[in-house]
Amino acid sequence: MTALHDAPPASLRAPEEKPVKKNRFRRDRSLLLMVVPAVVLLLVFNYAPMFGTATAFQRYSIYAGFWHSPWTGLETFRQLFADPLFWSALGNTLMLSLVQLVLFFPVPIALAMLLHSIMSNKIRTIVQSVVYLPHFFSWVLAVTIFQQMLGGAGALNQFLRQNGIGTWDVMTDPDTFALLVTSQVIWKEAGWGIIVFLAALAAIDTQLYEAAAADGAGRWRRMWHITLPGIRGVIVLMLVLRLGNVLTVGFEQMLIQRGAVGRDAAEVLDTYAYFYGVVNANFSLGAAATLFKGVLSLLFLLAANKIAHLLGEDGLYRR
Amino acid sequence: MNNFDRRRFLGLAGLGALSVASGGLLSACGDAKTSSGPGTTTQDQLQKLLPAYVPSELVKADIPSVMGANGFFSSPAFLKYPDNPVATTSGVPGKGGSYTTMTPLWGAIPSASGNSYYDAVNKAIGANLKLQPADGSNYDKVLPTLFAGDKLPDWVQIPSWNMGNLGFADAVNKFADLGPYLAGDAIKAYPNLAAIPTSAWQCCIWNGKLFGLPVYYSGATIAGTIFHRKDILAKEGINPDDIKTPEDLAELGKQLTSAAAGRWAFDDIFDAIGQIYKFPVDPNRWVIDDAGKIIHRYETPGIIEALNWYQAQAKAGHVHPDALADKREDAKQRFWSGKVAITGDGPGAWKGDDAKSGKAANPSYDRQAFKLLSTDGKPQIWMNPSAGMYSFLNAKLSGDQIKECLAIANYLAAPYGSKEYLTVNFGVEGTDYTMVDGNPVLTERGSKEVATTYQFLVTPISPTTVIAGQTQVVKDYAAWEADMVKYAAKPAFYGMNVTEPAQYANINQPMVDLVKDIRYGRKPVSAFQEGLKTWRAQGGDQLRAFYEDIRSKYGTGQ
Repeated sequence: MTALHDAPPASLRAPEEKPVKKNRFRRDRSLLLMVVPAVVLLLVFNYAPMFGTATAFQRYSIYAGFWHSPWTGLETFRQLFADPLFWSALGNTLMLSLVQLVLFFPVPIALAMLLHSIMSNKIRTIVQSVVYLPHFFSWVLAVTIFQQMLGGAGALNQFLRQNGIGTWDVMTDPDTFALLVTSQVIWKEAGWGIIVFLAALAAIDTQLYEAAAADGAGRWRRMWHITLPGIRGVIVLMLVLRLGNVLTVGFEQMLIQRGAVGRDAAEVLDTYAYFYGVVNANFSLGAAATLFKGVLSLLFLLAANKIAHLLGEDGLYRR
Repeated sequence: MNNFDRRRFLGLAGLGALSVASGGLLSACGDAKTSSGPGTTTQDQLQKLLPAYVPSELVKADIPSVMGANGFFSSPAFLKYPDNPVATTSGVPGKGGSYTTMTPLWGAIPSASGNSYYDAVNKAIGANLKLQPADGSNYDKVLPTLFAGDKLPDWVQIPSWNMGNLGFADAVNKFADLGPYLAGDAIKAYPNLAAIPTSAWQCCIWNGKLFGLPVYYSGATIAGTIFHRKDILAKEGINPDDIKTPEDLAELGKQLTSAAAGRWAFDDIFDAIGQIYKFPVDPNRWVIDDAGKIIHRYETPGIIEALNWYQAQAKAGHVHPDALADKREDAKQRFWSGKVAITGDGPGAWKGDDAKSGKAANPSYDRQAFKLLSTDGKPQIWMNPSAGMYSFLNAKLSGDQIKECLAIANYLAAPYGSKEYLTVNFGVEGTDYTMVDGNPVLTERGSKEVATTYQFLVTPISPTTVIAGQTQVVKDYAAWEADMVKYAAKPAFYGMNVTEPAQYANINQPMVDLVKDIRYGRKPVSAFQEGLKTWRAQGGDQLRAFYEDIRSKYGTGQ
């Protein structure tokens, strides 16, 4: 039983590990060909724009361009780090990210396990479609729906008001904003998030469940000893990826609701870069803020990956 | 169905002004950020440059323009299109040239292929203008990339409130100097351009050179005002003419709010009450106080009073909760459906198509504006630059090409009542529009093809006209405007193009955020002084010194 999960012994792997380069290329060429469009996309839309980060070290002017704008070294970063609003944006970003990590991350896993346990294909497809759907709504629409349901003049509060019960406008309450945005994310994205976990669950050998059941293991034991270990690798992988994105907490979602709860609650790194970089055409400052964010994200990603390795998981790549 | 009218777009521009105002993006006639001087022009230079003014005597308005204070005047109004339109140009202005144009558009962008309106106007002007309208709401994000990539079209329109992030004293170097063609009497070669009043041309001058062609001239342009649902007030037995002070207005807050029934007195009218408390709203930012000191709008005593007034209304529950959640985009819906009784909007909101939309929700719908309120019985309203948008010709064009474009501009600027005006605004009769009760109304095809494109390159004086058959709206608006102009005043640095140094670009946003926090009730009014102190320390005082310098060199424009 254990053999199923362990990698094959080194003696068996060895010949595959070092094939002649040419052979390897011939063997993988169709796979490589399939990757080409994705690589081109990455180069054009992710790598080429990286030249733009150079503006973080300039006093960039749209009239002088990259080539003629004066170089200022780390001046923009000094300006950035001296701005208390930047630090407050960073603090908000980390706080919102942490709340989402704790409250959102487990939801798709639980949902996937629930769905997986439904026997009827029909019901499963229906539920799956219903929970997927909000993913395809734009944030403007999602926030509008929340506003119309939970807002001060929304369905819930009008009902409470008409029945003489006190009202609570959660949409404009800065103190509970973290919980509000997290529930919005759960509503919108949890259904979409289950896809990867469902695939992982489908990969678990059903014989294991049968064998365990025959040995007298109940529902919870099977979940604890078969299901969760079976998808542990994927969970860790998703967690590592999430940590790499920890400084990204929904630019649109924040931008739309920033006015409703105020800067102190909703300013995150991305909106900071937008207001102080793009809107005021202070592109150097915007570039510096996002470059800082990029470097920090990379460090988070590497650290998370390292921890995954220490825990004996593959993480993003095998050591 | 007539859902198109030039005033409507002026209205949108006005709405834009109101809604973007709180974003701090607006700028006076090119109050932009630059590294190479303020771009302002001295009075002597101005006198040499300004084109001659030769008014058009073409048609007589049904409701004539009324002269107000300080040279401002109300728009002439027409109840129907003048009979027997005459041609103001002879022959074909163009020489077959081909030019790319870009203009902002608030609305659906029509298809260019098989567009009979585009074809008809291009044929009439004898040139091929390749129109590229772009989404007006994102226009300010598109422009910097066009400049940075050196991909400016031949003829581009730029709204004054999009100039803020362009460093406009630098930007104009990319455009053709029109002074040699239009300054002084030279403009008389283009009679329709010469009929655009001088104050509009004054806004088109940077660095001592005439660069722009004015779009949407009006004799008294305002950012916005306070509107009410007259039908709702009447039901409560309220006479809107009795509302004269902010206290009267606050009283309405109590009377008109019935939250359980889903009705609140106010939408977000904060920008609109700037007029009552005498602090300017964008694009005007500076005031000269009684002692002669230049103060920013955040330093006026009025803003504190306004914050107190507004926060009290918000806390008392008289402001619609969606407005307090900053959902400005639905403000018109709330007003149409009667969820709010009092709102703030640009003057362009008060048009026939608005009456049509409102009456669709409620047949008794009646939008009216309060006569100007004041704290002391002496109302006053600061005027915006008289032309809100300008178009520019690319500096790469040759002299002959510039002349051809100006001849085309002369055709496009043909006044209301002319043959050309009908072609430019409505296309071909029978195909794009038909005359209904003496007014042009777009056909179904016309409403898909005709968009404000050519008109956004240059426009003549914009009269008030009947839209969607709503004649009463024209009469009401004309009467209100005639009253309003009596209180018109010039704000500091009026009609001057001042480009602020780039390093102060970022001190405004924290104040915009703070003001919002206070008026929505998230922070006490006392927090304002603390924010103001930071603003002063971070560059506000230096910015004042910058404007002191402008005053000593160029005057205040008042």
